[in-house]
Amino acid sequence: MNIPHPIAAERKEPSASPARANARIRVQGLAKRYGALEVFRNVNVDVGDREIVAIVGPSGCGKTTLLRCIDGLIAPSSGKVEISGVEVTAPLPGVAMVFQQFGLFPWKTVFNNVAYGLRLAGASKAEIRERVPRFIKLVGLAGFEDAYPYQLSGGMQQRCGLARALAIEPSVLLMDEPFAAVDAQTREILQFELLRIWEVRPTSMVFVTHSIEEAVLMGHRVVVLKGRPAGVFEIIEVDLPHPRTRETLMHPHFAQLREHVWTTLMDEARAAELQLQR
Amino acid sequence: MRRGFESMLQDKSGLARYATYAVALAAGAIIWQLIASRTNPAFLASFTATIDAIAGMVQSGALGRALASSTLVYLTGLGAAIVVGISLGLLLARVRLLRVGLESYIMVLYATPMVALIPFIMSMMGFGFAPKALVVFLFAFFSILYNTVEGARSLKPEMLEVAQSFRSGEWGIWRDVLVPHTLPYSMTGIRQGIGRGLVGLVAGEFFLSGTGIGLLIMQSERDFDVPGLYGSILVVTILGVLLMGIGRALENRFTAWRGLNR
Ligand SMILES: Nc1ncnc2c1ncn2[C@@H]1O[C@H](COP(=O)(O)OP(=O)(O)OP(=O)(O)O)[C@@H](O)[C@H]1O
Ligand SMILES: [Mg+2]
Repeated sequence: MNIPHPIAAERKEPSASPARANARIRVQGLAKRYGALEVFRNVNVDVGDREIVAIVGPSGCGKTTLLRCIDGLIAPSSGKVEISGVEVTAPLPGVAMVFQQFGLFPWKTVFNNVAYGLRLAGASKAEIRERVPRFIKLVGLAGFEDAYPYQLSGGMQQRCGLARALAIEPSVLLMDEPFAAVDAQTREILQFELLRIWEVRPTSMVFVTHSIEEAVLMGHRVVVLKGRPAGVFEIIEVDLPHPRTRETLMHPHFAQLREHVWTTLMDEARAAELQLQR
Repeated sequence: MRRGFESMLQDKSGLARYATYAVALAAGAIIWQLIASRTNPAFLASFTATIDAIAGMVQSGALGRALASSTLVYLTGLGAAIVVGISLGLLLARVRLLRVGLESYIMVLYATPMVALIPFIMSMMGFGFAPKALVVFLFAFFSILYNTVEGARSLKPEMLEVAQSFRSGEWGIWRDVLVPHTLPYSMTGIRQGIGRGLVGLVAGEFFLSGTGIGLLIMQSERDFDVPGLYGSILVVTILGVLLMGIGRALENRFTAWRGLNR
């Protein structure tokens, strides 16, 4: 049951030098400035093939900005991002983003939202007819093909957003606090469902979250962003067994890791703020 | 009992609703008839005399000819206003330079009472078909443009980010995002434009050469044909109500995804 992670052997190296041989995503010396505001500087993170890297950090530290740079939606001020060895200057094929506020087109039905990326990628009508229902089913939205987003709950909307991203069969998934806008129970359900989907079709994933628990549960490594301007404060290896399930939460090591991330993230000034969010 | 009737009224497709309309309109006609029977017929034509006058105009073919001529002017002006209003509106929203450059002109023209422009149009273009269509256009155009620009600018930047992230080109952004988002707002503008265009039509037919339904009104006025005057005005009114109804139906059809008119 305990499937060894493909790059588990390499994940023993010290995280201060995160370069890895088979990195799918390579973030090198990345910095982003908005005028006088320096959001982050010198961010170095590599994401291995089929690795999930969770990114945690306080609100406003630049997690979304970092994800936008990785996706190629905005240009960094310095440094660069490479995906599969190609420098990112604009969104690349095979990279899909899941948005915090779902980013569904309210004027499209579930079917057409899920088909959106495929159509843009030039899929044929036959391919769309075959693939779209498959992914709608995968995320548990079968029967809602013709519904408009306003007819769906938040959780169902994010399932749709997930299906839209998965439908293009990306090799890289970028998740910006995907479950932050749904209620706690739905969030838990979606977490385990995403893990289940990842087991079926593993992709490289950058998973941004506010929740320390979620970061430790999802991530093979957890990157802690911190400071002003923000930087990578620590990269924590999460050597919990796979597949990650509800039982992972009961693993004695889980609590240890969560506490580790917690103390890493905290300083006195932010303790109160984050305690509220937890 | 009262509650029962109220809920019947809320049922949009219900017979009760149409029955209520019919009763209200009938009551209005009766009151009109009663008041007219006590008033000098040189000021107020009775309901029946007005209907007779309309029937007469239908029979003589005068109404048909007038409507045909007016409809052509109206549809030309309104059609141009819709096409230009929506496309220019979308361009203004998407192309910053264009917006900044044209904004002040649009503000000025939007604030100008269009009736005041009619003498100017007359001196530029004369009395033919084109100047009248232009008047309809000007009356209808700005509400369509304005609603389109405001609508397009209310698009959440996140929607554009999604499109970019899925590698959409500019044409795809228009097709999948900008146009479907903006169309409902444009429809609101079109609905307003339909009403204003009708005002423009009659104004154009009054102030430029008399044709169509405007001429019908003017002729009855000149001939002291009070029932004919009321009849032609009533025709314009009914036309307006019908057009507004069409406009609203179109608007609802384009906004099903908003889930407002369940
Ligand atoms: N386009 C922009 N122009 C100027 N400043 C910006 C822009 N986008 C983001 N910022 C600033 O950059 C900082 C980081 O923003 P970002 O949205 O990346 O934070 P975040 O870590 O995702 O926050 P949250 O956890 O609340 O989502 C913020 O201070 C924000 O105000
Ligand atoms: Mg964010």
